[in-house]
Amino acid sequence: MIANFGYGVLVITFLVTLYSVFAAIYGDRRQIPAMVESARRAMLLTWPLLTLTAGALIYLLINDHYEVQFVYEVTSRSMPTYLKITAWWGGQAGSLLFWSWLMSAFASLVTLRKWDRDREFLPWVIVVACVTMAFFIGMNVFFENPFAQFYQTFDGVKSYNLKPANSILFTPENGQGLNPLLRHPGMIIHPPMLYLGFVSFVIPYAFAIAALITGRTDDRWIRLTRRWTLWAWLFLSFGLVLGGRWAYDVLGWGGYWGWDPVEIAAFMPWLTGTAFLHSVMIQEKRGMLKQWNMILIILTYDLVIFGTFLTRSGVLSSVHAFAQSAIGPLFFAFIGFTLISSIALIIYRWGSLKSETEMTSLLSREALFLLNNLLFMSILVVCFWGVIFPLISELFSGQKVTVGPPFYERATSPLFATLMMLMGIAPLSAWGRSTVKTLGRAIWKPIVGAVVVTAVLFATYTQKIGALIGFFLVALVIFVTIYEYWRGAYARQRSQGENIFTAFWNLTGRDRRRYGGYIIHISMMLMAIGIIGIETFQVETQGTLGQGETISLRNYELTYREIAQWDDLPSGVNYRRAVLDVYEDGEYLGQLAPRIDYYYDSQQNMTIPGQRSTMRDDLYVLLVDWEPATAAGATFKIYVNPLVNWLWLGSLLFLAGIIIAAWPEKERERAAFKAEARVQQQTSAAD
Amino acid sequence: MTDTSPPAPRRGVPLWAQIIIWVFLVGLLAIVALGLRRAQQGTVQPGQAIDNFTLPLYSGYELDGKSEIQFDDLRGKVVVINFWASWCKPCEQEAAELQQAWTEYEPTGEVLFLGADYVDTEPEARVYLKKFGVTYPNGPDLATRISQYFRIKGVPETYFIDKEGVLQYVQIGPFTSLEQIRAQIDTLLE
Repeated sequence: MIANFGYGVLVITFLVTLYSVFAAIYGDRRQIPAMVESARRAMLLTWPLLTLTAGALIYLLINDHYEVQFVYEVTSRSMPTYLKITAWWGGQAGSLLFWSWLMSAFASLVTLRKWDRDREFLPWVIVVACVTMAFFIGMNVFFENPFAQFYQTFDGVKSYNLKPANSILFTPENGQGLNPLLRHPGMIIHPPMLYLGFVSFVIPYAFAIAALITGRTDDRWIRLTRRWTLWAWLFLSFGLVLGGRWAYDVLGWGGYWGWDPVEIAAFMPWLTGTAFLHSVMIQEKRGMLKQWNMILIILTYDLVIFGTFLTRSGVLSSVHAFAQSAIGPLFFAFIGFTLISSIALIIYRWGSLKSETEMTSLLSREALFLLNNLLFMSILVVCFWGVIFPLISELFSGQKVTVGPPFYERATSPLFATLMMLMGIAPLSAWGRSTVKTLGRAIWKPIVGAVVVTAVLFATYTQKIGALIGFFLVALVIFVTIYEYWRGAYARQRSQGENIFTAFWNLTGRDRRRYGGYIIHISMMLMAIGIIGIETFQVETQGTLGQGETISLRNYELTYREIAQWDDLPSGVNYRRAVLDVYEDGEYLGQLAPRIDYYYDSQQNMTIPGQRSTMRDDLYVLLVDWEPATAAGATFKIYVNPLVNWLWLGSLLFLAGIIIAAWPEKERERAAFKAEARVQQQTSAAD
Repeated sequence: MTDTSPPAPRRGVPLWAQIIIWVFLVGLLAIVALGLRRAQQGTVQPGQAIDNFTLPLYSGYELDGKSEIQFDDLRGKVVVINFWASWCKPCEQEAAELQQAWTEYEPTGEVLFLGADYVDTEPEARVYLKKFGVTYPNGPDLATRISQYFRIKGVPETYFIDKEGVLQYVQIGPFTSLEQIRAQIDTLLE
């Protein structure tokens, strides 16, 4: 009953999105504002409708309705209620619905804004948003129905969208349960964050397409979507970091990022999105790179769809891939359609997207921003090549060649290093013109500071050249950023008579995007410390220990104490938990207890590491193997991951930075005007 | 359409550039389509008889002193083929379990484990084999011929073939427990 209701509402929503598309086009063509308004209201309706659908699905999930195939596949009686709810995005059909639901929320939010000044964009924004939504809802309606139910017919039990003739409903006693890997808190928030990032990039894309179609190709669309882009970027970035944290805690290989195709698929829109975030500033301030920005947002949108497609179609195998499904070809067709039509539009409008000004200096800020964009695109090309290369090599040489993490690491690390270098220089250069002399005068102090830091690290911490270059760049960027901050605050302190803290506060408040951006730069550097640490200094060992025996790694010694095994029947889990005493240079630090949890319903193991985490390093112990027959011994895998905590610390600061940059300002237009004026001051000051 | 731009665009994209863009785009889509078709095909399905193939073996990992395996010579044994690579992190998850299973079944003489090293270099592969104490026959999947025959989607993947040479079970991704491996082999031994 509830399942039929949910499916019915889903079908209605699908029709509503289609109506919205046609009404918007018709209303625009025939110049009937009422039609466009009707389309707008139809789009507004999608969110409540999908919320109803989602409510129906959640009801079924919570109440153990195993006659519904999706509920059967992702939940079981032993799961707690919150996991039953989050199982919503634990499987293919549900996560598609989740995607549509988030998309509709964003689309509704957009429709609620004041459109007075931008009426001509409205129909086309509706068209793009609703076509995207119709596609995703259509997937659910026709191929991946989360409400399909099991029916017993003469041919046996199968799932159907509607009750077939001569059949009775079939209800299994219990469900299969959610994959234990997906029961981790990180996994509960990771997909929603990533999806939020994905869907919110649809909004700037919708405006870009609207600008291309209407021919209003000034920077209006960019100003309108600036904050959307920042929020999209926030969610996407945070989703990626959470995914890394999840991998670190759950996958049990002592790492956070494995260059898995699906990770790359989520990383690629982040790369173009980050490039876009920077290059729109050049268009706003200098009226340049208009064509480029269009290309970037189109790429981002299609990479978002491509990313969703890769995880769902089974084109690539990976830890993330959902079961094989018929929806692959449709995703492919949709990507082809949007990419080809967007490129056609951009070619059509190419002439009117010409820059208003010319690049005057290779050291100007816009030139450095352009370089930053090229670097992001190079990383994108590396990633894309790695994903697509196996297909190409198979096509041309008959031999399949897969590239592993070493390829990505070697190819991207110089690019990342150059990006860090730019992060150090760019904030000091001025818009319009900059010379070696002006730049040199600004940068010599931070360079001296960075050299000192590197020398100290060389003497006390490491002699590895790669790591030292990394740390030098980290120090440079941090010093430059703090120096910039301090210069601004100091100037304010003198001119406004504020004390230094108030000056800092007001400085940030006056140009949130800039100073929020600086905080993001610093946070990136903290994350870089963690990445350099784990990439260059990670050590690992593996050993089978009898009780009371000791294994050592770096300056840690671990003594195997005991192991216990017990069943937790209500939650259907069998725990195997080993206890080790940890010593550092002979000093007792405490105990670690790595576990293997065996889930009866899904017949899968989950490896829970024992972790001891400090800012200096993480001690990370996995229980690899333990046989009851040989209870005397257990096999452990032990990692020391230096500095990895800086990665998580950096990501928290990162969050703060984006929120500062993206927080809504009341007088947006006036602030933009003031920013314009300031740029002129800066340019003349840099002379 | 509400066209507010200047009527005559200053300069559009030259024809040759347009041609390049479209050729590139169509080519790209064609390649993805190809990959998609392969993926839709899936791996070799259980129930299919496996044709003969040759797996050369790394020295130190030979079978009865022979440095090469002909699959057809293995009739009468349950064959477990594991595709792996030294760069593959998920493979490490199951390495200990596979080796453990091998030490259990080797004495019976009815089961043979084979490791097919996929897109790898020998020195790195040797480090990996040594690290996990692997002892069953292992060798490189030269020119990815075997993996293409099985149409594997990635590593690790494991194929269970019965005594008549018919594929019975495919494991995609790593095993998470020794019990999983045992269960498959035991049904084939019955």
